[in-house]
Amino acid sequence: MTTQAAPLVSQQRAPLSGLWTALRIFWLGVSRNRAGFIGFLGIVFYIIVVIFGPIVVPFDNEVKLDEIAAPPGTRIQLMTRSENVNTYTTLESLNGKVVGVIGNTGGPKLVEPYEDTFEVEEYRWQAGRGIDRALEELMDGDIDALVIFSQTVKDYIDEPEQAGNQNLYTNLAISNPALGPAHLLGTDTQGRDIFSHIMNGGASLIFTALLAGLFSTIIAFSLGAFAALIGGVVDRTLTAIANFVLVIPRFPLLVVLAAFVQLNNFILLATLIALLSWPSLMRAVRSQVLSLRERDYVEAAVALDLGRWHIMTREILPNMISFVAINLIFAVTGAMYEQVGLIFLGMAPINDYNWGVMLYFGRSRGTLFNPDSAMMVLAPVLAIAFFQVSMVMFARALEEIFNPRLRSSL
Amino acid sequence: MATRSSPVSSASSIEISLLDRILDRWQKINSNYVVRTIIQALITVWAVITFTFFLIRLMPGNPIQVYVAQLMNAESITYEEAYGRAAAQFRFDFNASPVEQYFDYLGNLLRLDLGDSIISVGTPVISQIMRFLPWTLFSAGLGLLVSFVTGFVLGMLMAYYRNSPLDHILSFISSLMSAVPNYIWGLMIMVVFGVQLQWFSVGDLRGTYDPRLTPAFTPEFIFDIFKHALLPVITYVLGTVGSWMLSTKSSTVSVLGEDYVNVAEARGLSERRILTAYVGRNAALPLFTLLAISIGFVIGGSVLIESLFVYNGLGNFLFQSITGRDYTSMQGVFLFITFSVVLSNLLADLLYARLDPRIRVSGEK
Amino acid sequence: MNDEIVLKVEDLSVIYNSSRGPVRATSNVSFELRKGEALALIGESGSGKTTLSLALIRMLAKSAEINAGKVLYTRDGKTRNILDMNDGEMRAFRWNDCAMVFQGAQNAFNPVLRIRDQFLDTARAHGRNDKEWLRQRTLELFKLVRLDPQRVFDSYPHELSGGMRQRTLLALGVLLDPQIVILDEPTTALDILTQRAIIDVLNEMQTRLNFSIIFISHDLALAAEMADRVATMYAGEIVEIGGVNQIFYEPLHPYTLGLLRSVPKLSHGQDELVSITGNPPNLIDPPSGCKFHPRCQFASEKCSREAPPLTEYDAGHQSACWHVDKVIEARKDLYKKKVTES
Ligand SMILES: Nc1ncnc2c1ncn2[C@@H]1O[C@H](COP(=O)(O)OP(=O)(O)O)[C@@H](O)[C@H]1O
Ligand SMILES: [Mg+2]
Repeated sequence: MTTQAAPLVSQQRAPLSGLWTALRIFWLGVSRNRAGFIGFLGIVFYIIVVIFGPIVVPFDNEVKLDEIAAPPGTRIQLMTRSENVNTYTTLESLNGKVVGVIGNTGGPKLVEPYEDTFEVEEYRWQAGRGIDRALEELMDGDIDALVIFSQTVKDYIDEPEQAGNQNLYTNLAISNPALGPAHLLGTDTQGRDIFSHIMNGGASLIFTALLAGLFSTIIAFSLGAFAALIGGVVDRTLTAIANFVLVIPRFPLLVVLAAFVQLNNFILLATLIALLSWPSLMRAVRSQVLSLRERDYVEAAVALDLGRWHIMTREILPNMISFVAINLIFAVTGAMYEQVGLIFLGMAPINDYNWGVMLYFGRSRGTLFNPDSAMMVLAPVLAIAFFQVSMVMFARALEEIFNPRLRSSL
Repeated sequence: MATRSSPVSSASSIEISLLDRILDRWQKINSNYVVRTIIQALITVWAVITFTFFLIRLMPGNPIQVYVAQLMNAESITYEEAYGRAAAQFRFDFNASPVEQYFDYLGNLLRLDLGDSIISVGTPVISQIMRFLPWTLFSAGLGLLVSFVTGFVLGMLMAYYRNSPLDHILSFISSLMSAVPNYIWGLMIMVVFGVQLQWFSVGDLRGTYDPRLTPAFTPEFIFDIFKHALLPVITYVLGTVGSWMLSTKSSTVSVLGEDYVNVAEARGLSERRILTAYVGRNAALPLFTLLAISIGFVIGGSVLIESLFVYNGLGNFLFQSITGRDYTSMQGVFLFITFSVVLSNLLADLLYARLDPRIRVSGEK
Repeated sequence: MNDEIVLKVEDLSVIYNSSRGPVRATSNVSFELRKGEALALIGESGSGKTTLSLALIRMLAKSAEINAGKVLYTRDGKTRNILDMNDGEMRAFRWNDCAMVFQGAQNAFNPVLRIRDQFLDTARAHGRNDKEWLRQRTLELFKLVRLDPQRVFDSYPHELSGGMRQRTLLALGVLLDPQIVILDEPTTALDILTQRAIIDVLNEMQTRLNFSIIFISHDLALAAEMADRVATMYAGEIVEIGGVNQIFYEPLHPYTLGLLRSVPKLSHGQDELVSITGNPPNLIDPPSGCKFHPRCQFASEKCSREAPPLTEYDAGHQSACWHVDKVIEARKDLYKKKVTES
């Protein structure tokens, strides 16, 4: 427990030095608080993913029809006749030969750079029958090697009983099981790489959530401070409005509104979320400002008649920086909840392919119920969960570091 | 400090004294916590109704206009015909002035007449709501109860053994649980336990009960009801129990530091008595304000959870109405969800007042 | 007052394990408390008074450790060591034998229970389930503390004023007829008039019910008024103990002398107030020898080497000082005015 000796001297001046102190306390606290440190690392991780993810792993929009809902780790393989299994192991080793690829499988794209060094024979997909033709021609020696997806290979080679092709393709073998890059998280219902979607699908969500959190914090902060500083009728009216908005179930209202207002734009979505989520923070800010106003140095400023704006920006705001930061984080997680919820129900923009849209498709296309394609849902579920967890852990750590008594949100 | 203007005005003294008397009476009524809470709830309900009226009747691009346009398109009828049909289903008189319409609307609501469903032609919306509402109240209520009790007990444990490994582990878990959105919990349960591990069949647990059973007070049927509510309830619990744990911990920690707990120990009271009547009751008090927020959150979240598990409650019905563009149902369900939340808040507040004697007398805490 | 001893404390030492090291909050404290007497503990804050009193009912903080000593309690001719009691015995001992008014406890009552229920709770915890007895007893006690029994009994704590709550607490304190009542600065939070009323009530209660009091205060005037005997504590030790007149008029320890000089006298004017120089000692690493020597005007080289033992100089008057003679010399000017007047 601190005594009241300090404030007049130490807290009175210089917002900037206050900021430095805050940063120092922050770093000391975060490096000691394990959960907070994990949260901090998590946030840094997400920032890196959002910024560099799309550059490192471009969005995979290529439909690969033989590789729908493939399990994690699958990749394109190279197949030859058994006698060539040790010689034709790479695309380079096929110099001057004939290489078969099947349309709509990702194969044609993989051999594109080699079109000068060997001849490419492309088979049409034809509802899967193209694969049979390609395999036959490989066996017959019309082509020397076939670039083919693992799932198909599995069907024809690994589980011949199931495919009923046991006797047909006896002299074929895999010469290179890892020709193409691996699909770390498998593929979705269109055979697209889920990992690339995860890497690309966070930016818009996080941006919208940040925007909504920022809007809502700004609204809450200005109204709260305004109500506390002006007092009287203004205060009572604003508080009554806040109490009213607070009691309306936010998510159902958003859902209903989404039925009329086309939420096809992220800024609109963020604004709508912000307009419904400011009240609890506004009440916290109001009581916070009220109690700050009682402090000696603020009373001194009031006595000196320094003006409301000065008092707000110079005396009160610097003392609320940590409070605002913490609640901003909570507002962002709240906005994330509502935004993804709306998208999940199909009520918000799905033209941009993000984690929420992955959930939406995962549910509407039924991959949710297929054990093999669960990654399409599980991956974004985990991405969203860890984002929320990192943010909340970090915010709670900040709360503990700066002031354990300022808890405002549930 | 709020500057108070003096009550002296140019009005005559008689008027002032009358006004004073009215204000005085109002102050008296208003200082009674129970009455004030009920009045506030009523005002809130009225405001929501009015808000909905404006949204549905008067806003440009409002549901009625949208619906009329749809009708004209779909059935190639004239604007008048379409408008007449809409008016009948929405229960309003399109010849009346907006003010009259407003009072009609209030009157209809008082009679619980919310119009006819657009999808299920001829069915009043209120009968649909009455069909679905109990399931939402049951599952959301059960979820809240279980999570409150569990969170309260664990939170007290954390407070009693604070800074022990138990506290650290539970704090971490509760932060984690409260951070993850409830529908994400639902999805995880479904994908991991239902689809991957096949501990239960997702399909069998849809709906509120097995349609092959006839509803009755048989053990079999009651068991079935609980079975079907299990996934939504677990999801609600996972989504809220973390917050209860953390809030209980912090309020218990502050109560444990209170003088009266110390004095109770010095008075030689048994640990059990101290734990329940001295620590427990006081630690629970601030949680009732959180309960109000939590109720709104759980009932609001039911739209997501119920549609995820296809549990036939009000939330799922709202989702179905929206995807089916059933505007009358949408309006009715939204109003009812709001009423449920306001009512639950009111009950939480009144319960709070019964438990905290400081409220009844001073009217202000 | 008679010579029957109800509490005998021998060599009691308490250590708080803090992050900066062990804090020796109370070391080698010994004293006796007789039936019906009031013993005042005085000393500046941080001298270990609260720690000592909490040790007597074993309600110290978790970080505390009683690492030596005995607390012998006698009732009806039977003597037990409080430090050897198990949890059940301890629970029975508290309030039934020794009631405590904690320092600064503004909210001693549970806000959600009526006063009536809290009295009932206390009685029940000690096996007194007889409602009629409770009614009679409380009626009598409320009269004694000058409160309207009916009104207070049905009230919730927040409906009572601070002074009323404190009196209710006193009534609750003697509910089970304890032999000892410990009061740790019971009046510091109250205004001066209420303080007076509480002290009067307390005095009256003591004469009627004949319990022993351990009265902790740094208000020397109050201590002088309440106490039969006074013990001065410094740095966790009792440095002087004696009758109230001996301590206030013939102090034998430089620290007691310093305390007396530092307060304005209510009855006798004093020319100047002299506060004790220097800082309170660090209890993690206390000074060698006599712990008071760094602040003592009479300190010699011996004082920093050897700790003086508590030695009896007059009948019932003990002091732990190597230079009692110098104190006797110096105390002459303590009541200069009084001397010249008389
Ligand atoms: N819980 C505790 N942990 C560590 N040190 C303590 C604790 N309580 C008291 N102390 C220390 O013990 C010493 C004696 O304190 P206390 O008994 O409260 O003195 P007094 O009642 O005379 O003011 C002080 O130095 C104080 O800082
Ligand atoms: Mg003390």
